[in-house]
Amino acid sequence: MSALQALQEEQARLKIRLQELQELQRNLRDCPQDKVPFPVPESPLVFRGHFQEGKATAKSVVSHVRICYPLPGGSALVTFDDPNVAKQVLQQKEHQINVEGFRLRVQVQPLELPVLTSIQVSSRKNDQRVLVSGFPAELKLSEEELLDKLEIFFGKTKNGGGDVEMRELLQGGVMLGFTEDGVAQHLCQMGQFTVPLGKQQSCLTVSPYMSGKIQKAEVRPQPVPQSVLVLNIPDVLDSPELQDILEIHFQKPTRGGGEVEAVTVVPPGQRGLAVFTSKSG
Amino acid sequence: MAADEDNKEQVLKECEQTEEVMKDKQNQKLISEITKENIQLKEEIQKLEAELQETARTSQINEDIPETKIKFTSMENPESDSEFSNISYSCQVSSKVPYELQKGQALITFEKEEVAQNVIRMERHHVQVQNENVMLMANPVPLHSGVKFQVHVAVSKMKINVTDIPDELPESQMRDKLELSFSKSRNGGGEVEYVEYDKQTRSALIAFVESGVADRILKMKDYPLYINQNCHRVTVSPYTETHLKKFQVFSGVTKRTVLLTGLKDLQTTDEEAVEDFVSIHFQREKNGGGEVEVVKCSLGQPHTAYFEEETDGIYEN
Repeated sequence: MSALQALQEEQARLKIRLQELQELQRNLRDCPQDKVPFPVPESPLVFRGHFQEGKATAKSVVSHVRICYPLPGGSALVTFDDPNVAKQVLQQKEHQINVEGFRLRVQVQPLELPVLTSIQVSSRKNDQRVLVSGFPAELKLSEEELLDKLEIFFGKTKNGGGDVEMRELLQGGVMLGFTEDGVAQHLCQMGQFTVPLGKQQSCLTVSPYMSGKIQKAEVRPQPVPQSVLVLNIPDVLDSPELQDILEIHFQKPTRGGGEVEAVTVVPPGQRGLAVFTSKSG
Repeated sequence: MAADEDNKEQVLKECEQTEEVMKDKQNQKLISEITKENIQLKEEIQKLEAELQETARTSQINEDIPETKIKFTSMENPESDSEFSNISYSCQVSSKVPYELQKGQALITFEKEEVAQNVIRMERHHVQVQNENVMLMANPVPLHSGVKFQVHVAVSKMKINVTDIPDELPESQMRDKLELSFSKSRNGGGEVEYVEYDKQTRSALIAFVESGVADRILKMKDYPLYINQNCHRVTVSPYTETHLKKFQVFSGVTKRTVLLTGLKDLQTTDEEAVEDFVSIHFQREKNGGGEVEVVKCSLGQPHTAYFEEETDGIYEN
């Protein structure tokens, strides 16, 4: 009996998996990436010379990388001009810094930051969301004001809307998400709306919204070759003095140091957030 | 009478036995039916998965991101506890919209939009390419849509994922064993705030009270879990949350790039030479052109050209 049961359970699992895949295939067929059946905002593009032999594959540009790394109190971040100097400094786990008669013992560590190394995203039409577009160019509202006014207007059933669950400002318009089914579809059917935005009435368009879903994302540690973390700095000096002393110590070639680009100190009892960005951003 | 009774019992027994045999036979039949069905289902699933992989190649974002140089920019004050308990990463991803250049087509990008629009307005251009006179037609490039979005990742400094947990104890006991082992500072652990244990996937989420414990443990690939007298090594990995923001589909329009057609019947197959001739022709104002940024043509094999966004830093945060 248990062999039969196991087989039946397996069949149930397989059927569920098959249904999932069939739905995914349906979604892709209804809304293929390259032929969106409803209007979407335009974005100016240019050919800069990037080409490849053969057929098209999915390609994208990653930019504006920004990483915020928390640092505890009593630590510092030292960035050298030359990554080889950083490597030399790291050869010793502990550094003794001589200051006016006493010694500060600190630890140094290499710095690794998590970076996105691969991403897979699929998109499908989201039945509970809409895209509102057609805003006049000279609109003088702040992001918050605009989102509030749209939420108020499209939150009213008398305008054809309903309870707004989420809202987001995008480059080509505003995305609104509704809690109830059917509201988004109804608004898209109506299509055009005259909405009061501040001093003027604007004619806005409502169209379907495609939302994205992460299928897979890989994050790996990437070393920061020019920077070094200094930890467990004893609480004996004031911050500006400490900064100078660290800079002096780490510049000494006799200590394996070299030209220091930057030193930032997080005083004991405080917390710091070190911000790292990519070149292009 | 007793013989009758015996007979009855005998008949009953035989009936029961045949029933059993029939039931067994039925079972066997069912088992072999279901096994056949399952094999069919598996085949269908494999086929669909392969098809979807193929579509995934062209219709979604599937990108291996090359290493970008990262540098220290500034030090800020964390505003909230949550900012301090995660290392946060964010970036913008934007599709490069492909255009498949057919044989005889070329793309030319001008520095100025007005020049490109003028070239399109003039439509026909007589161009000298090597020793041949060709007439090129200029049109806007028909482009498909792309997507752009922000990716936000938070790598926890307070929590870790644990996997490969042996399935030896009932749920509540294993949860306790996990808490005990991960609290031992002599092994690198620290005070545990809570444990979420999933017996089915043999994995757990461990949250620590203090920051720094997670980092320490993650420096090792695995960690000792004590179950009664035995020690198992369980795998530890970072706990990350990833989500998308500002996801948007856009339709591509080019203002500065023009599609040229009419190079199909050229004698030469030297693409670079043809590109030079075309570039020189369209640099000249008297030909209706202006400063040219790039030219690419296809004389034989199809090439795919990738279009990028004009401006950087579209999202003002």
